[in-house]
Amino acid sequence: MTHPTKRIARAELDRLFALLSEDARVVHGPTVRDGAIVDAPLASVSELPIGWTDQQAPGRYRLTRRDDAAVFGFVVGPSSPKPLFFPPEETLYRAERRADGKVGFVPVVPSPAPKALLGVRACDVAAMRIQDRVFRDREHREPRYAARRDDTIVVGVHCLAPGPLCFCASMGAGPRVGEGADLALAERLDAGGHIFLVEALTARGQALLSRLEGSEASDEELRWRDEALASAERSMGRTLDTAELPGRLYAALDHPRWEEIASRCLACGSCTSVCPSCFCSGSDDPSDLEGAHTSHTRHWESCFTSAHGELHGHTTRPRTSERYRQWATHKFGAWVSQMGQSGCVGCGRCIAWCPSGIDLVAEVRAIADGVSPVTMPVAREVTAPREESLVPRAATVLARTVESSDVVTLSLRMEPDGRRDFAPGQFHQLSLPGVGEAPISISGDDGAGVEHTIRAVGKLTEALCALRVGAQLGVRGPYGRGWPMDELAGGPVVVVAGGIGLAPLREALRRMLADPERYPDVRLFYGARTPEDLLYGRELLGWIDRPGFDLHVTVDRAGPTWRGHVGVVTRLLRPATVPASARAILCGPEVMMRFTVDALAKLGLPHTRQWVTMERHMKCATGTCGRCQYGPHFVCKDGPVFRFDEVSMLFGRHGL
Amino acid sequence: MGSEAHAPPARPRLGVFKLASCDGCQLTLIGCEDELLALSEKVDIAHFPEASSRTDVHGRFDVALVEGSVSAEWQREELLSIRERSKLLVTIGACATSGGVQALRNGKDVSEFVRAVYASPAYISTLDRSTPVSAHVSVDYELRGCPIDKHQLLEVLTALLVGRRPAIRDESVCMECKRRGNVCVLVAHGEPCLGPVVHAGCGALCPRFARGCYGCFGPKESPATAALAARLKELGVPAADLARRFRSISGGAPAFADEAAKQELEHD
Amino acid sequence: MTDERTYRVDLMTRVEGEGRFVLRVKDGVVIDAELSIFEAPRFFEAFLRGRSLFEVPDLTARICGICPIAYQMSSARALEAALGLVPTPEIERLRRAIYCGEWIESHALHVFMLHAPDFLGYESAIEMARDHRAIVERGLRLKKTGNRLIEILGGRPSHPVSPRVGGLSKAPTVAALRAIRDELARGLEESLETVRLVARFPMPELEVDYVFASCVSGDAYPIERGDAIVLSGGRGVVPVASWDREMIERHAPHSNALQATLADGTPYLCGPQARLFHHAEKLHPVARDAMREVGLPREVKNPYRSIVVRAVELVHAFAEALALVERYEVPERSYVEGPLRAGVGAGASEAPRGLLWHRYEVSADGSVVSARIVPPTSQNQARIEADLRALGPSLLAMEHGAATRRAEQLIRSYDPCISCATHFLDLRIEPTHEGSA
Repeated sequence: MTHPTKRIARAELDRLFALLSEDARVVHGPTVRDGAIVDAPLASVSELPIGWTDQQAPGRYRLTRRDDAAVFGFVVGPSSPKPLFFPPEETLYRAERRADGKVGFVPVVPSPAPKALLGVRACDVAAMRIQDRVFRDREHREPRYAARRDDTIVVGVHCLAPGPLCFCASMGAGPRVGEGADLALAERLDAGGHIFLVEALTARGQALLSRLEGSEASDEELRWRDEALASAERSMGRTLDTAELPGRLYAALDHPRWEEIASRCLACGSCTSVCPSCFCSGSDDPSDLEGAHTSHTRHWESCFTSAHGELHGHTTRPRTSERYRQWATHKFGAWVSQMGQSGCVGCGRCIAWCPSGIDLVAEVRAIADGVSPVTMPVAREVTAPREESLVPRAATVLARTVESSDVVTLSLRMEPDGRRDFAPGQFHQLSLPGVGEAPISISGDDGAGVEHTIRAVGKLTEALCALRVGAQLGVRGPYGRGWPMDELAGGPVVVVAGGIGLAPLREALRRMLADPERYPDVRLFYGARTPEDLLYGRELLGWIDRPGFDLHVTVDRAGPTWRGHVGVVTRLLRPATVPASARAILCGPEVMMRFTVDALAKLGLPHTRQWVTMERHMKCATGTCGRCQYGPHFVCKDGPVFRFDEVSMLFGRHGL
Repeated sequence: MGSEAHAPPARPRLGVFKLASCDGCQLTLIGCEDELLALSEKVDIAHFPEASSRTDVHGRFDVALVEGSVSAEWQREELLSIRERSKLLVTIGACATSGGVQALRNGKDVSEFVRAVYASPAYISTLDRSTPVSAHVSVDYELRGCPIDKHQLLEVLTALLVGRRPAIRDESVCMECKRRGNVCVLVAHGEPCLGPVVHAGCGALCPRFARGCYGCFGPKESPATAALAARLKELGVPAADLARRFRSISGGAPAFADEAAKQELEHD
Repeated sequence: MTDERTYRVDLMTRVEGEGRFVLRVKDGVVIDAELSIFEAPRFFEAFLRGRSLFEVPDLTARICGICPIAYQMSSARALEAALGLVPTPEIERLRRAIYCGEWIESHALHVFMLHAPDFLGYESAIEMARDHRAIVERGLRLKKTGNRLIEILGGRPSHPVSPRVGGLSKAPTVAALRAIRDELARGLEESLETVRLVARFPMPELEVDYVFASCVSGDAYPIERGDAIVLSGGRGVVPVASWDREMIERHAPHSNALQATLADGTPYLCGPQARLFHHAEKLHPVARDAMREVGLPREVKNPYRSIVVRAVELVHAFAEALALVERYEVPERSYVEGPLRAGVGAGASEAPRGLLWHRYEVSADGSVVSARIVPPTSQNQARIEADLRALGPSLLAMEHGAATRRAEQLIRSYDPCISCATHFLDLRIEPTHEGSA
């Protein structure tokens, strides 16, 4: 496709700058600061890095003078457009918890001045499109990102002299500026003079182009540009074979190279921070001294921090090798399953700005070259964007039931409408301003409110368990994929629960028992630590006499009055109790699920007829913080319920 | 002595104690200019000799902030007593957390040190090592920094008052540096910088001021000191210089002390 | 019957560091006046040996959390002297600006938070805020402005990171420094109010004939630079390099503490009163006007009245900082460099509480061979004890508690920085932990 293209004189850049500045638009572009070419708001063309270039090598960047006055005669510096739209720190909402126990949440959405970006490289344009997918164009439309990103004019620059660390061509992201830019410039500086070819890629670009003084680009000039781009594509400093790369990386999870990299990797997070597409974030809830007024803030995080892999007070990726593997397998592998494309645009920043000089391309090649790929999960279908889902709404405690010494069930009325729409197996994010937020699975619908069964294990869950009837808290959701109720219909269903794992299964059980025609044969196998830890005792007793329902209970330890089974739940699973034609749904500690899956498999239930729930720490619950990643999955939206074959290659493996 | 009579019983009692230190960390509390008066209404600042003549040397405290390292026997005894009388003990700063700059004496001939500084060595009563508070008593929270950051101090106090975990990140200085949009001094200027292995919290001050991090906040979680040392050597930093860099403000922290010892061994 | 009274405070409060004092008066005669320090020693001069000279300002800053810039500046100056480096005037102005920030922060802290409660009868500024909230808030505001100025120039108020041998590691942009202009202008107004406020404080009586010691800094009121040290009483001007010959440290038998005196045994005073005595005419005109307005003489013989001198210096520091900020342009270089060489150098500057002198010997490879640091509180200690003796007889007519507080208030007048002085004083004394009297 050919786009309208004009040839303009170098001096005409000033007019372009003036056009971009119209309507109080802030023009951002490259400029020299602190010994590097960085992105900043510009006052004029003269602030561009005219006559400067950069020399780059792994872990090394030097700003040097050119012997000409090229305006864009450099590659990419440390800053990408990312922070303009996804700021390093921002406030998402403010929360208030009043003395009467009522709560309120007010979203913070900025109304920034519109921006124009001048001089964006193809790789960064591609990275902006990736971030658009994460934050704006998929299930969850993040209004803060959208407010900053919408109505941005992008003027790209074709990369005609790629640097030694560049590999955008391998990633399909450059050197030609593609979709996402309004205009694309090609700078020509030779004996014939100093000119720019300006190409309009959008209607908006066309409107700008029509106001620039210049002539239509000649065939020779267009040929020059295309040849220069073709030559640039051939002279990339690095190349990477991306064919089946996700499957090859996941096949090499145990490659010794991961450990070897860890002897050089500082786990400092510089790579993910300079990456133009990395989107992982953490959040905090700083409050005033009483905890009555809270701000919910979000900040750039990195898979190289321990916090990123935190799960109930321990980190799932304690080793640097595991963190590096998480990064590389996500960037080149999981990303494809999650977003339908690789997360890498080949800009080379992570190589240049690694203080240790680790070369990602060389490492990935050393690990994945020649490896036979495993099959990766298919990228899930994208639903239409949904507005704002990061801000809680108030909910009121309707009833509080003490289940055991440290477990409480709260029935919540969702304000203001009392809605009770959820699927069994989904979860809510429950929060208390000033204390925190946590994912809590939904344990039922009692006809008045939505039930949540909570075990007091930390500050937040203790505070939640202590809430009284009438008190309020914050709720987001429901989130995630629940139990496969349709697929369970028709045949026997085996339900295996461990401890508090019965909670997310309860509503599924209730619905199955309420519809014996669809679910004629339901068998619950329930294990707990002690008889006192058994949940929902009265309700379970009420189910015993239902036709088509079998209950098997066991405990790890019991006193002399206990007449039931003692031992692990897998001992209850026998040919006599588990029909080989059954489908199974499981929830409990990971180790219990692992043994259960194996036991059921031996009884004739293939992995494709078993479903498990995965526990990860859901921070944002919308697939945009990266915290809950489990291999190629976001547990918060691809799970928490998985058919076992989807996770079997990861299950029980350390450091993922 | 204390004035419990005036204080509503609900206010938690705060004590601020000093061992061997420069006072900079407790000064950070007075440096909370916008919050100090509000804080004093929420908590009973029952013992804070640097700020108030109302002291309560033998009192019981909900939160004790302890500044400084243990470098004399009487300080060890005082510390044991503070621990016994305090529900929560929070160390503030590098001295209390890793022994501080005065831990540079550790491993040296202290009697020679005494002679070097004092005309009258016989009068000096000191221990041969400067040790962190955690070497003597259990610590509920360690706030890093030389000095501590006032926003982090307020965060810790608020979190303890509200009953949640302080939102303090154990990540590297690089994370803060990148969030601030600084240009990396190591990559762009070849400046030796400890940032990749140092605990965040200062706001990446040194790189902002065109110099490499020198480790005021001590080691981060899983600090890759050996990998950084190897890299800095590639950049031309000699082993003796590396040893000095690790054995500095936070030189008493085990990860840094070990790396310094390795480099010293290599140098010798 | 003999009448023996003992005034003692075993944990002095509202001072930097840990110290105690004992004053014993028998039959109207002072028999013991002792300021003791039980701070643990930290051995700076010992562990500085073998360090790179470029690390020294970062390390000496840690001697004091209140006046780290004074330590950084005195050590940088001494090392520049050893290397033969001469910072440019632009660099000197930046140093003066950051040092003004420290004076503002330290003086505001002392005047409002530490000393004022004595005059108004409170145990602390926090308690004082119940009745005088506006005054305490003003003090906090002034202090915050000083801290902000240091933050802009050095990153953080305590142990800032930019001061280095040769200058500052980085100079701020004009916009960054100008951002504090209005705050400084407001602070200047509020510091003038402060002079008026503290001049009205009821002043205990005491008159002492002092030998004053202060830096000389060209035509400027001395802050960041000491070209020489001037003494009063016709004792002349001493080059910085030979201050350790003019001043000696010796044992005082009554206290077993090391104290500095002049070579002939005369105690001397450094700090605000000394600076004012020697350099009153070099104060900024606004500060001179303030002096005149409240009738402050250049020779202040009553140590309690140092709070007024400190307030006048607060005015000066604000006026000076404001002028520096308004005239600021980004210098071509923010520090000077030169080849390493073996040598010896001494340097001095005026910490908020007085003369701070450093001397280093460095080797050709840039490492420190020897270090000597003489902080203001060490130099003032003999003078403090002498003044306590002078105060003693007048306490007899007072109720015991009030008399003890009056003595403690006197010690506070010198804004003693005990952590700084630690390496200098007797450390055998153990605290008894009886709390304040």
